Amino acid sequence: MHIVVHFYSYFKDLTGCAETTATLPAGSKIDDLLKQLAPRYPELDAMKRSTLIAVGVEYQARDYVLHEGEEVSLFPPVQGG
Amino acid sequence: MKKQLTITTEPIDEAALLSGRLVSDGMGAVVYFLGVVRGTEENQAISAIEYEAFQRMVEHQFNLLFDQMEKRWPIESVRLVHRVGVVKVNQPSLWVEVVAPHRGEAFAACQWLIDEMKRVVPIWKKARP
Repeated sequence: MHIVVHFYSYFKDLTGCAETTATLPAGSKIDDLLKQLAPRYPELDAMKRSTLIAVGVEYQARDYVLHEGEEVSLFPPVQGG
Repeated sequence: MKKQLTITTEPIDEAALLSGRLVSDGMGAVVYFLGVVRGTEENQAISAIEYEAFQRMVEHQFNLLFDQMEKRWPIESVRLVHRVGVVKVNQPSLWVEVVAPHRGEAFAACQWLIDEMKRVVPIWKKARP
């Protein structure tokens, strides 16, 4: 399945892009996606403890099972106000 | 509960917001908060802050927070305006108003909303020297 991944805030600087795509086997979890992205974006991997994860517009945990066409967003802690 | 959310690149027009205030006879408290960009960030002088938002998720997360507010307090209305883009020092980046029957719940709800916003609403800032 194909997953679109969006980056926000300084994660765009760490990855050098605002979005990328990943191809994963059916039944893969967010954690599998992060493991696939880690060698491609080592600076992003270094931030994994503080990374917030959303699928669509909802926060999700790393054990969330992804589905074809879903959009994942990765970003640092929020700072509104 | 009436809810009004505005995410905008335009300056916050306090006069227009105040003139648009609606308070019914049963309401005894209006609390509003203005967040202003400070001239320093981590002890460094700055000229402005650039706010970035994940717009669709911002709207969704604010609506979830408004739903929780409505369950916790007898609020008549909430209005919230958050700037995105470049906001200069001394300019407002956030305006929040809560109308409720009594001051206790109005203050509590306003404070809670801002605290939760800073925890879950996907807006980020970048200081400009």
